Parts: sequence; structure tokens; C-alpha cells
Amino acid sequence: MEILVPLMNGFAVALTPLNLAYLLAGVLMGTLVGILPGLGPTAGIAILLPATLHVEPVTAIVMLAAIYYGAMYGATITAILINTPGVPAVVASTFDGHPLARKGRAGAALVMQAVASFVGGMTGLVLLVLIAPFATVFATRFGPPEFFVLSAAGMIAMGAILGADRRSGVLSALLGFALATIGLDVGSGQPRFTFGSADLLAGVPFVPLAIGVFGVGEVLHAIRGQNEAGPGPGSEASLSRVNVPTSAEWAESRPAMLRGSAIGFVIGVVPGVGATLASLIAYGVEKARSASPERFGDGAMAGLAAPEAANNAAASGAMVPLLMLGVPGSAATAVLLGAFLTWGLLPGPLLMTENPDFAWGLIASMVLGNLALLTVSLVAVPAFSAIARIPFGLVAPIVIVLCVVGAAASTGGAFGIIVMWAGGLLGYAMKRFGFSTPALIIAFVLAPLAEDSLRQTLVISGGSPTIFLDRPVALVLGVLTLIAVARGPIRASSSKGPP
Amino acid sequence: MTHRSSLARRLGTLAVLGLAACTGQESGRDDAPYPSGRLQWTIPFGPGGGNDRMARTLIEIIDQYELYPAAIEPSNRVGGSGAQGWGWIFARRGDPYQITTISGSFLTLPFQAGVPWSPADFTPVALLASDDAVVVVAADAPLTTFEAFLATARDRPVAIGGVGALNSDVLTLQGLARQAGFTLRYVSFNGFGALSSALLSGAVEVVVTSPGEAIGLLQAGTIRAIGYAGDAPPSWMAEVPTFETLGYGDVVVSMPRGVVLAPGVGPEAQAWWVETMRRVAETPEWADYLETAGLRREEVYGDAFGEALGELERVFRTAFEEGR
Repeated sequence: MEILVPLMNGFAVALTPLNLAYLLAGVLMGTLVGILPGLGPTAGIAILLPATLHVEPVTAIVMLAAIYYGAMYGATITAILINTPGVPAVVASTFDGHPLARKGRAGAALVMQAVASFVGGMTGLVLLVLIAPFATVFATRFGPPEFFVLSAAGMIAMGAILGADRRSGVLSALLGFALATIGLDVGSGQPRFTFGSADLLAGVPFVPLAIGVFGVGEVLHAIRGQNEAGPGPGSEASLSRVNVPTSAEWAESRPAMLRGSAIGFVIGVVPGVGATLASLIAYGVEKARSASPERFGDGAMAGLAAPEAANNAAASGAMVPLLMLGVPGSAATAVLLGAFLTWGLLPGPLLMTENPDFAWGLIASMVLGNLALLTVSLVAVPAFSAIARIPFGLVAPIVIVLCVVGAAASTGGAFGIIVMWAGGLLGYAMKRFGFSTPALIIAFVLAPLAEDSLRQTLVISGGSPTIFLDRPVALVLGVLTLIAVARGPIRASSSKGPP
Repeated sequence: MTHRSSLARRLGTLAVLGLAACTGQESGRDDAPYPSGRLQWTIPFGPGGGNDRMARTLIEIIDQYELYPAAIEPSNRVGGSGAQGWGWIFARRGDPYQITTISGSFLTLPFQAGVPWSPADFTPVALLASDDAVVVVAADAPLTTFEAFLATARDRPVAIGGVGALNSDVLTLQGLARQAGFTLRYVSFNGFGALSSALLSGAVEVVVTSPGEAIGLLQAGTIRAIGYAGDAPPSWMAEVPTFETLGYGDVVVSMPRGVVLAPGVGPEAQAWWVETMRRVAETPEWADYLETAGLRREEVYGDAFGEALGELERVFRTAFEEGR
């Protein structure tokens, strides 16, 4: 196959000692940036960008891309262990990842996340090499109508996480939508619900809200649980439990990973939608297909494997529009695109042909980077799963400190801390009264995408909804979504009970 | 309300700690000659965007020629079309170590979003360039010329995309629509990524953007430029007709790109920065940057820049009110 020649050249580029050193540095820094909630891959790349100005562009992109996908691995560790997703793409990994940790199976969950991430990342890369030219055609079919249909599919998938009480779940999601309307409106440029606050013009920031609602809310809830009902989460971990996935769990996770990888790559290729939607839809699909959906939300291994494979496959898929079109698909890839210009490279369709070493060196380095991440993650599993066995009384203050630091770092000041505490109280109250915090956060992430794309669509069509029928990709996606709905709503009673 | 007061006290403590941390970073003292301290360069937009690229280019040139004696620390304070970053600088009245780069929304936010500052509050340093819009279509689109675009737009609504709801590009389009006699159907996007995929997918037929954003797709021939708002296009798209030659020269509203200090900074620091920016603007590196970013050189320094900003704000405000 002629495609192997440039790929082999890519490996030759990636395997030089300098590039390998930068790759490993990027992988480790990315994992670290992911583990500590707050900075996130976008900020991590931006901070390290100046440090790359004095090396070759290939070396620089190898390191910066490693930070990008390394952060996906790292963020999941925090999401599993302390229920605190530092990036939107790992929110879906908390649904079953954290219940597993609470049951004392943090080790098994971490092994699964490492393997699923690796499978997702590698499948994404194989697809990237094999079908990138075709995928480019696919990527250029997405305008606002298609984005809206995709976000609608995301909302259907959200049905999988509404919780035991469907009415509370829907209310939680509506609250998430409401929070997302705060800020400067893209359509009209007018501020909405900001009450004169300059901080709120940018909207409620995701990172402090998510670590407040999940991390702080969880700790507050656990404190109450300990006081009232004996040992709370974290303390029930028992050493005797099996701390690797069982063969039954491998069996259910293998197809979940493959489906998650495929979904992740396809959605990752679409510029601007990315890993969050991919992981959520992968989770929804897995739960809908499962013979025992009631285990989802209560520590089903497939419910962790699918979104993990999906978000890492999406990170590979995002390289298609970035390398082949010069169109950034996410905030993090937008920074990478800006970096291309800083290095004197012109992003766009000519990049692959005029700088093959750069593009193929990057792809080859991602293969090596995923291998390195798998190794690092598996080696670190005992250390991280030990964290899950630390008594709750010791872990709780550390979690709070991490959350405060992360919230402050993400907004550069006290505003993030205020949002985090407000989110923490909200998260606590929601858990206490049986509302769904995942539904709130997912709705908060999906709402701007859905709102902007719907409004853009209707401006384009002059208010006529038939535009969704005129555009083939939107039509096909819409029909698929409707079929998914018609095949039976995801059972309401199937989600997690009170912990 | 004990809970609330204890929260307030804790936040107060945090604020004090934060302030202590900030002052601890600044090595510059009032009696030391200016400049001697660490400079904080606030970039009010995300990394990779036009404002960010300009700020980082300026910092790189300043470092390369060793024009600033201490460290320069760029921070992206992103959000609210720049409101976050400029609001941050606005709150640091009198601090000569706070500098920022401006974009079009610097002029529109005060009347658009009711932020508590106006451009006149800041200490003006230099207008360095104008960012003039380029009108592009997909390479395989039926609208191949500016005339064809206008004729079609008079005939039926044409969806035109751009980044943001109110900026110089939108004002230019509103003027164009009035003068050419068509109804503007403008679609606002969050960033160039979503905008360019909407264009390539055919959802919008025409896009108005900065040449520096479109350069990659233009040079690959994926998209085609049909009109340029400035008076002389960058050399790499020299064949593109200007609005002037097309007969629409007076509808153009340019986006100013320049540098301001925090409000209430003394004349000494202002003069130092005016001099430094003059030297930066003379370097070949700056000329290279202007060329690739598709920016037009336009230099106005010090208080004259302040007056120009006031004049531009009036232009924007008038156009905004006419457009309503």
C-alpha cells in the first residue's frame, strides 16, 4: 500500500531522539494537566507554545499534540477517582467510572480506561491514515443545520443519563440549558442575564461549574452520608475485591470499545463538535444496546469503555479537519492551528502535500504517544487506585483544595472560585433531592451548540424549517436519530439508584 | 445570614491573598526608573486568533531586539468578545505594567454590551494596523465575482457568514447592503472554524473574514476571494478587486489593531511605549507579519491615537444605530 511509505517516513521523523524526548515530555505534561482539574489541554498548549519556538515545527507539534491527547487520559483519572471532570469530554466517563471507584474497583476502572483510551486513540489513527481523504469530504458537509441535528442526537443520548426519576432528570437538564443562556449572545451580540457583571459576559465558565457540581457536590454529599448513614463513599473500598476487570467485563467492553471508537472518530472529524458529544453518544448507544441497561450508572464496565474509546478516537479524528482543511475543530486544535502560523507553516489543504514530514511525523508520533500513555497509565494504576483507599476524611480536604485551585486557575481569579462554590452547593442540593447532575452538565455543554446552530440555520433559511430536508447529510442524520428514538426510548427506570 | 458573612469573609481573605500574590510578582517600584518590572500583557481573545497572533508577534519582536528590560508575561483572558480581558485591564488603573492589544469589539462593547468602560478611558499608545475584511466564496460556488454576488443578493436573499454579531465587518456589510440595494441576511458564528465549515458545506454562500484567517484556504484554492475592503490587498492576493475599484469604497469600516495601557498611566510610561512601538513598527519582522496576516500598516501614536479611537467609536456607534 502506497500509504505506508509516508507513514514509515513519519515514523523515521518521530523516532529521532529529540522528537521522542519532546513526545514523552508532552505525554507526561498532558497527563498531569489532565489530572489537575482547571488548566485543561487548551491552556496547557497555550502556556507551552512559546517554549516550542526554538525547535523544529515537527518537534513542537509532536509535543503540543501529546499534551492534547495526554490530557484526555489524565482527566479521566480524576473523573473516575474523585468524580471531577476537568474537561467536558470526560463527563461521560464519570457516569460509570466513579461508581466503580466507589465500589472499591478503582484499579479495574483505571485499567479499563487506559486500555479503552488506547484502543480508541489507535483505531482513530488507523482510520485517519486509511480514510482521511474521504473523511475530508465528510467534514466539508457540515454547516449549521447538520450541527443542530447532531446536537439533537446528543440530547436524545442524554435520555440515557436522566436518572431514576425522569421528571427530575428533565428538570435538571432544563436548568443546565438555562445556565447556558447566560452571557453575550452570539446571534445578536446582546448580553443575557448578566445583571451588569462583566465576568458573566463570557457566560458561566465550564470548568469551575463542573468541578463544583461534581467534585465539591460529591464531597458535601458524602460528608452528609457519613454523618447520617455510617461510612460514606470511598471508605467502603475493600482490598480483597478483584482489582482488574473480570473476563466478563472484558467481554462486554470489547465491542463497546470498538463501537465507541467508530462513533468517536466520525464525530471527531466534524469540525467543532468533538469529543464531548462523541463520548456522550457512545455512552447512550452502549446503554441502549445493553441487555442489562440497569447496571449503567452503577458501575458497568462497558459504560466506561465506550465513552473513553470515543473521546480518544475523537482526538484522532479532529486531526482530519486540522491537517487537511486547516479548520480547527475545538479550542485546543485552534491553538495548534495558531501555532502552525507562528512556526511559519500555512495551515490548510496544502499542508499535507507541502509538508509531508510534518503531517506524517505528527501522525506517527501519536501512535507512539498512545503507546507511551498506555504504559504510563498501567504502571500508575496501583498508585492511583491507592488514592481510592485513603480514608474519606483525608481525601475530602485534598479534593476541595484541588477544586479551589483548579477553579481559580481556570478563570484566573476569584470569580471561578465563586462559581465553583455555587456549583458545589447546587450539586449537593441536586443529589440530596434526587436530581441528575450529569444531565445538568451535559445540557449545559450541548445547549450553546444547539442554540447557535438552530438560530444560524433559521437565519440562513429565512425561518423555514424545510432546510433540514434540503440538505442530504442533515436529512440522513435526522432520520437515523428518529430511528434511534423509535426503536424504543431508553428505559427510565434503568439508571442508578441512590448511592 | 451567618453563612453568607462567613463566605464573604473567606472570599475577602482569598482576595487579600490574591492581591498579595500579585504585588509580590511585581518587582517594579514607584521610585525605580520606568520600565523595570515584569510586564503583564493581557490578550483578551483565545490563542491562535488575530489579536493573540499580533500580541505574541509584538512580544517576540520586543524580546528579539531587547527593547524591554524585564520579563513580559502574556495571558489570554478570554470571554465576552474581549470584555473579560479589557475589563481586567480597566480595573488596574494607574498600573504602568498592564498593557493590552485591541480589536474591533473594543469599540463596540461599550454601547453593545454596556461594559463600564469606554475606549477613551485607556491610556493610548499606538494604532499599528488596520484589519480590512475580505469577501470570500467557496471555489466551486456559482457566485464567482463580486458583481454576481450583488446581483444575486438583489434577486434573492444570500446567507452571508462572519464571526460575531457586531464588528467592523458587519458594519461594512450593512453599508454595502444599503448602497447596493439588497437585504442583508447575516449569520453570526463563534469562530473561524465553524464559519469556514459552514462556507465549505454550502450552508452560507458568502463569508466576510480577515485575510489572515483565510490565507490557508485561499492559497490552496479551496475558497476564492471576490472583494477586499482595504485600499491595497496583500501581495499574495493582489489580483482581488478592492471595494474602492468596485465602487463601494465609502462603505468600508476598518478594524483597528493597536496597543493601549491601563487607564490613568502617567505620561512617562506612555511616552516610553510610544517610542518602543515606533521601533517595533520599523523592524523587518513586523513588516513580514503585516504581510502574512493581511494587515494594512496604519500608524497613529500617543494622544493622537486616543483621538482617533474616539472618532472611530463615533463611526461605529453611528453605524450601529443606523443598522438597527
